[in-house]
Amino acid sequence: MSLVEVKNVRKIYRVGKEKIVALNHVTLNIEQGEICCILGTSGSGKSTLLNVMAGLERPTKGDIFIGGINIAKLSEKQLALFRQKNVGFVFQSYNLMPTQTAIENVAMPLMFRGISKKIRTKEAVKMLKAVQLQKRMHHKPTQMSGGQQQRVGIARAFVAKPKIVFADEPTGNLDTHTTKDVMEIMVKMARQYHETLIIVTHDPEIAEYADRIVTLIDGDVRSDQKNVSLIPKDEEEIPQSPPQPSEMPTPEAGGNEHE
Amino acid sequence: MKLIDMILMSLSNLWKRKVRTMLTVIGVIIGTCAIVVMVSLGLGIKQSMDDMLAGIGDLTVINVNNYGTNQGTDSDPLDDAMLEKFAQLEHVVAVTPIQYSYGNFKITSGKYQYNGQITGVNFSTLEALGYQVTEGALPSGTDTASYSLLFGSTAAYDFYNPKKRNGYISMIPDANGNLPDPYVNPMKDKLEIEISIPEDSNKKVKPIKATCLGILAEDWSKNPSAYGVFMDIKDLKALQKEYNKANNIKDDPTKKESYEQVVVKTDDMTAVAAVEEAIQSYGFNTNSMESVRKPLEEQSRTMQIFLGGIGGVSLLVAAFGIINTMTMSIYERTKEIGVMKVIGCRIGNIRTMFLMEAAAIGFMGGVIGVLLSEGVSYAANTLSAGGGGGLGSIFGMGMGAGGQLSIIPPWLILGAILFATLIGLIAGIYPANRAVRISALSAIHQE
Repeated sequence: MSLVEVKNVRKIYRVGKEKIVALNHVTLNIEQGEICCILGTSGSGKSTLLNVMAGLERPTKGDIFIGGINIAKLSEKQLALFRQKNVGFVFQSYNLMPTQTAIENVAMPLMFRGISKKIRTKEAVKMLKAVQLQKRMHHKPTQMSGGQQQRVGIARAFVAKPKIVFADEPTGNLDTHTTKDVMEIMVKMARQYHETLIIVTHDPEIAEYADRIVTLIDGDVRSDQKNVSLIPKDEEEIPQSPPQPSEMPTPEAGGNEHE
Repeated sequence: MKLIDMILMSLSNLWKRKVRTMLTVIGVIIGTCAIVVMVSLGLGIKQSMDDMLAGIGDLTVINVNNYGTNQGTDSDPLDDAMLEKFAQLEHVVAVTPIQYSYGNFKITSGKYQYNGQITGVNFSTLEALGYQVTEGALPSGTDTASYSLLFGSTAAYDFYNPKKRNGYISMIPDANGNLPDPYVNPMKDKLEIEISIPEDSNKKVKPIKATCLGILAEDWSKNPSAYGVFMDIKDLKALQKEYNKANNIKDDPTKKESYEQVVVKTDDMTAVAAVEEAIQSYGFNTNSMESVRKPLEEQSRTMQIFLGGIGGVSLLVAAFGIINTMTMSIYERTKEIGVMKVIGCRIGNIRTMFLMEAAAIGFMGGVIGVLLSEGVSYAANTLSAGGGGGLGSIFGMGMGAGGQLSIIPPWLILGAILFATLIGLIAGIYPANRAVRISALSAIHQE
């Protein structure tokens, strides 16, 4: 059984009397430890798919099993508890608490779990060191660059060792150089803890970091293939062939695996 | 999420918006202050009423009368057994008969004599009844020597010399304001009780030696404490027997022993009504200050509710201030709340944190409000005392010297803080529910 099983999910938004189909019968399985990129242009439904998988939105139809639990059937309360236990999140606009230091921000998911301050601070420091922010631990978000803030965001997403980390355009607000840093750190983290990482992006270059690339167009899965490290620039031309068996990932990620 | 973490987060959120928090707190301060000051004024009025009544008569005392004729013949006599029943009633601390001597007695000291009334009471209850002495001591316990006396504060002036035309000493102060000494100092001089007998009788009745234990302090709320002479009830009964023997008066065997008047003291004026009712159920007439106190109390309660209501309105306004502030703050924090939900904050924790914030505003306002009220109350009391009732007369109360215009008892302090906190908590319910309903998705939406 896969960790994530998306079965025949539909999501329809109503705007006035008009219906907008964001997801049109999406079926998708993602395995434990897999780094999966959901690639698509604006309006392709990729963000909706992420929200639905993370339990932030309910599908109009279909089921989403995560670790065997159908989260489409959970109540608002149960969803919150589910997220606390299973989900980490990296946001495009970092979404750090502006009045709290890096340590406090990273420790927050642990605080929500009721872990004592001493232990959660220790964990947070460890995570911040892992993202190479040991010198910025007591800084507030406003005193940090975008790349640094996103690294804090990554530390926060991984600190509670969730089953799945979702990243929503994690480098959308970053320049090319920082993007590379941030992606490498995120992939390294996922590999280190053998966690499932689901990245949503419109940028094919980001997709290069993933094991598997799922391309969405107009609410449908257009292609689903293992990353062969060579992505055609034009996604439209990807043939709808079954994924080719390919050996593991990008050199960057592989190099960090033994840490 | 740990409680301490929720408290710290709530407080840091309030601290983040210091100015707005402070302004909201000020609203609660004013509301609390208004309630506390108003209630304290009401309490002051009530207290001065009670003081006034206490000056007229002891508020905790019930007089029981048995005039014999106006009760059914089958009613129980007002005797020692009945007194024992009264004493068993809840809240009763002391029961004593008040028995006036009949017949002709004299208390003599040398050539001077006292012809006033001798009142028999249960000596062991005097302390509980609140009698005090200026000289000597109140009898302690029941084992006082036979024929011990207590003199009323001015009773000594009633000694006179029967052989002189103008044998009295009047209680008129001299030029220096000092009272003249009476002929007899009961505490020092020898006292004897003489029983009068018919002049034609050839019997010899020996005078009875008596000692004075003390002089009672003047207290007009008590049964005559100025003119009378008190004697323990058992001595009075014995004395009465002696008198009957000397004057050949035979006891009526059919007449049951029954006191005419009994005083019952309760431990609190609120118990008076219930005790009175219980005594009436035995078939006796009672009267107490309760009948005066009750309507006055009703009146002062109405006044307190009115004054408290005025304060309540301002706290109500403050409550809306809290709702407004909290709602605004939730609008501003929509994204933050969304993020918290996405990264694993439980819904109950979010609600608790917002309720805590609102309650904290109420609590701070309550504490500062109470402190401020203490100041206002102090100022009002000082002004009214110093200005000869300047403020007091505004409220139409003839405040006696030392009467406090405003009284803040501990329960009011505690109650006001709790109430303000509760108001904050209630005001927080709506905003907290709003916060709970904020979708986790709002974390993702770009501004």
